[in-house]
Amino acid sequence: MRRRRLVIPALAATTILALAACAPGSDPDEPAGSETGGGSEPAEVNTDIAGLGDITLTVWDQEVRSSQDPALQALNEAFMEKYPNVTIERVSQSNDDLQSQIALALSGNDVPDVIQVNNARADMGAYVTAGQLVNLEPYAEAYGWADRYSESVLSYSRYSEDGKTFGEGNLYGLPQTGEVVGIFYNKAKLEELGLEVPQTWDDYFAALDAAKAAGEQPMVLGNIDQWPAFHVFGPLQANYVPVDEIAALGLGNEGASWTSDGNVQALEQFGTWGTEGYFGSSPNGTDYDLAWADFAKGTGVFLPAGNWLAGDLESLMGEDVGFMAPPPGTDGTLATTGATGIPFGIPAASENVDAAAAYIDFITTDEAMAMIAENGGMPVNNTADNAPEAGLQKDVFEAFDAVSTEGTLLPYLDWATPSFADTAGQGFQELLGGQKSAADVAQAFEDDYQAFIGG
Amino acid sequence: MVRNRTTPYLYLLPAFLVYGLFLLYPVARTAQFSLFDWPGFGPSTFVGFENYADLLEDGRFITAIGNALYLILFYSVLPLLVGLVLAATLRRGQVRGMGIYRVLIFLPQVIALVVVAVAWRQIYTPNGTLNQLLGLVGIETDTGWLGVPELALSAVGIIGFWLETGLVMLLLLAGMNRIPNDLYEATRLDGAGPISEFFAVTLPSVRGEIVTSMVLTIIAALKTFDLVYMTTSGGPGTATTVPSYEVYNRAFQLKEVGSASAVAIVLTVLVFVINIFVTRIGEERKVTR
Amino acid sequence: MRVSAGEKALNYVVLTLFSLFALFPVITIVVTALGPQLGVAESGPHWGNIVDAWNQGSFGPALLRSLLVALLVVPVALVLSILAGYAFGTMRFRGSTFLFYVFLFGMMVPAEAIIIPLFYDMRALGLTDTIWAIALPQIAQSIAFGTFWMRAQFRAMPPNLVEAAAIDGTSGLTTLWRIMVPPAIPSIATVTVLMFMWTWNEFLIPLVMSPGATWRTAPLGLSVFKGQYTADGALIAAAGLIVAAPIVAVFLLMQRYFISGMLEGAAKE
Repeated sequence: MRRRRLVIPALAATTILALAACAPGSDPDEPAGSETGGGSEPAEVNTDIAGLGDITLTVWDQEVRSSQDPALQALNEAFMEKYPNVTIERVSQSNDDLQSQIALALSGNDVPDVIQVNNARADMGAYVTAGQLVNLEPYAEAYGWADRYSESVLSYSRYSEDGKTFGEGNLYGLPQTGEVVGIFYNKAKLEELGLEVPQTWDDYFAALDAAKAAGEQPMVLGNIDQWPAFHVFGPLQANYVPVDEIAALGLGNEGASWTSDGNVQALEQFGTWGTEGYFGSSPNGTDYDLAWADFAKGTGVFLPAGNWLAGDLESLMGEDVGFMAPPPGTDGTLATTGATGIPFGIPAASENVDAAAAYIDFITTDEAMAMIAENGGMPVNNTADNAPEAGLQKDVFEAFDAVSTEGTLLPYLDWATPSFADTAGQGFQELLGGQKSAADVAQAFEDDYQAFIGG
Repeated sequence: MVRNRTTPYLYLLPAFLVYGLFLLYPVARTAQFSLFDWPGFGPSTFVGFENYADLLEDGRFITAIGNALYLILFYSVLPLLVGLVLAATLRRGQVRGMGIYRVLIFLPQVIALVVVAVAWRQIYTPNGTLNQLLGLVGIETDTGWLGVPELALSAVGIIGFWLETGLVMLLLLAGMNRIPNDLYEATRLDGAGPISEFFAVTLPSVRGEIVTSMVLTIIAALKTFDLVYMTTSGGPGTATTVPSYEVYNRAFQLKEVGSASAVAIVLTVLVFVINIFVTRIGEERKVTR
Repeated sequence: MRVSAGEKALNYVVLTLFSLFALFPVITIVVTALGPQLGVAESGPHWGNIVDAWNQGSFGPALLRSLLVALLVVPVALVLSILAGYAFGTMRFRGSTFLFYVFLFGMMVPAEAIIIPLFYDMRALGLTDTIWAIALPQIAQSIAFGTFWMRAQFRAMPPNLVEAAAIDGTSGLTTLWRIMVPPAIPSIATVTVLMFMWTWNEFLIPLVMSPGATWRTAPLGLSVFKGQYTADGALIAAAGLIVAAPIVAVFLLMQRYFISGMLEGAAKE
């Protein structure tokens, strides 16, 4: 017995030494990625795909819903028709599942050729740092992507070589669709209440109070999953905080602070909406999809949410629903959370980088944009040209066009740091439920932000 | 008994090979990962026990452990009490349609948790079926049950109770079915009612099954992941976060595989210790009987 | 056995109430599954949801793959668990307690905890995107539980059963299959149902181990109805019914074994 007692600690000690020697991620069969990051740069750009011989192009995407899937399906077929030597093998799944897989899959030798990778620092940023994504700059030049896209859209797929700066540097992905967060309103209810569509934030606050006084639920929010609150707070924040500050906070770059007066005021306003019932009795206990379905059935006057609801809301509410970009912010410009759908990038270990780049080019042409619009999606380019003649989608397309060309598309706040989705998701719920003060929440956000930029 | 000394090991060998290669070895690797700062890909840094030290001051982690322990009440204790009543009723009561009741009560165990989550979210939402039912009995409320910090964890717990009771009942019933009928008849001839019969005959006979069901449901409680992931994502705030959710969140969302592995190891050890404790108590009793 | 009428009535009340509680969310699922899809205004029942879910989730091949995985996992795990449980339950040997705790330990390990090393090791072996990467870890998990379970069953059997066989000179394996297994059929049926169910509903292992989706099993088909921001609850529930149906069927089939096993046991005493 005694002998055994001596053996175990000795064993444990040797084991730990052995463990330390063979570090995870150091397997010889895994490409380590360059230590400095920055991704691989193709030696020579080749845009002659027909001359590449037979290729199987593996594409991982998350375009699964019925408003997304047909357009990509059609584009894939058109691409294979154009290049009969290319066979596309498509794997599509929900965004959650896809993002869970990418981190593991990218580190191997057998990787897909095209992936939809989330812009956020936790995703694209981490892969850039690890050298696992192809720098698309040479292809952007060869295919003229700068002419096709506005720089503000491209900036959300840009990172510096080392992955430290987000929003400028090399291009690592190209989005197909646009996203804009705004405010849906129930036209019939506004009329009943004798209200106009608000033009300024003060109008909006007044409209909310009037609705509340008349016994209506002013706004609809289903925040059980934590992320929907980001889409309500984002636009509101622009009423208190200058856009360049919001951008720095949202991209996790240096030079801003969550504890500034503006941010605390914005958080305070948001908390008040929660505790005083502007979102009904229990936004934190309500399902996102059930909440907007309730809005469609006549609960609430305003629904702050993204363009992705427009198709469904229009078919349910017809003429009764409108969409507006949030009123101009504190510095007088249009600014709201939005940016882009999830961009398509190329893993560094892909063997078909040229063909992958040609594919990404193909699915983002002007014709592709028109196809996306036809199928009910909102293309990121030529949005106004592709707008429907009338109806809710017209409002939405115009709002996106206005913000992306005249105003500023603000990044999603959870892109900022790897842990910000958690920190802010938790903070917003605690504000809405009245468990924490705006100052405390601002401090929690600041701690997360500082820990990231400091480290 | 005539038996070669190596015989028992031969019986164990095939199971142990698969088990060792595809469970024990990965656990050892997880233990190894927990000593590194590593995003799950690319280079890693050896940090010793820093990931563990960090957990001591990690509010989310501590809350998660506390929440998991609280869930044992709903996943294990309540199902055991209710399961005993149900199983004893089925065993003794000469109930017609026993098979149907058994199937219905076990049904929750069978359904994929994704679907379970969809259903319960609809039940708990402010204008959901629960509040509609309450309205029928005169209690008007529009509480979103999963959105109230004080109630959310219990609300998740009730889903666990709903899930596990059928399993516990079935386990206990299997044990009770081994009790010979004469034993019951003898007790009844002595004039015992249902309650004294339960304590004199039924309960002592199913101690083994009680231990089994406690072990299984405690594991289920402490390992809860899917349900939290799909109903509340740990919210509101951190009210319903649990260790397994922290493991997943750290590994796949935050890309802190080192920290995720440390949480996983602590969780595994915790579950192991609690269950050793439960089985020890159970088996001791068995011996003294 | 006699039970008073009053007690009988009470029994029915208790069982019926609890059955309703168990059934209530199931009914909610069915109602949701037959409810309108996103953007559809007409009221139901929408039987077409099942068809849409079947086609969009390509459940035909997914269910087949799930079945193949379960047919590999359950019998292998069952046989290995019975062998190991027999050793633990009826034999005395050095290190048996320690080894048993080693097996018990496997039940405590959450799948999220081992999935990342498993993925890297499977890939190093070139097994990702094969049935083995999905089945082997689940066999290992099922063995942990199965061994624990079968040990308890064999221990509960009268020891004279084994001794009598040994005196007859029956070999170990024959004793196991001829004498130990038959009376354990009901509990083997139970563990079969449980293993089948856990394998069938497993989500994380097939997701991570089959990155190329060649072995995407049925529960993964549910994610096709979840977009980045919106999900179609009706289709998810309809898909859920499709995924759940085979297990409910297996459970109902095994139900017969429970009953026959029970009667057998009662007659023997």
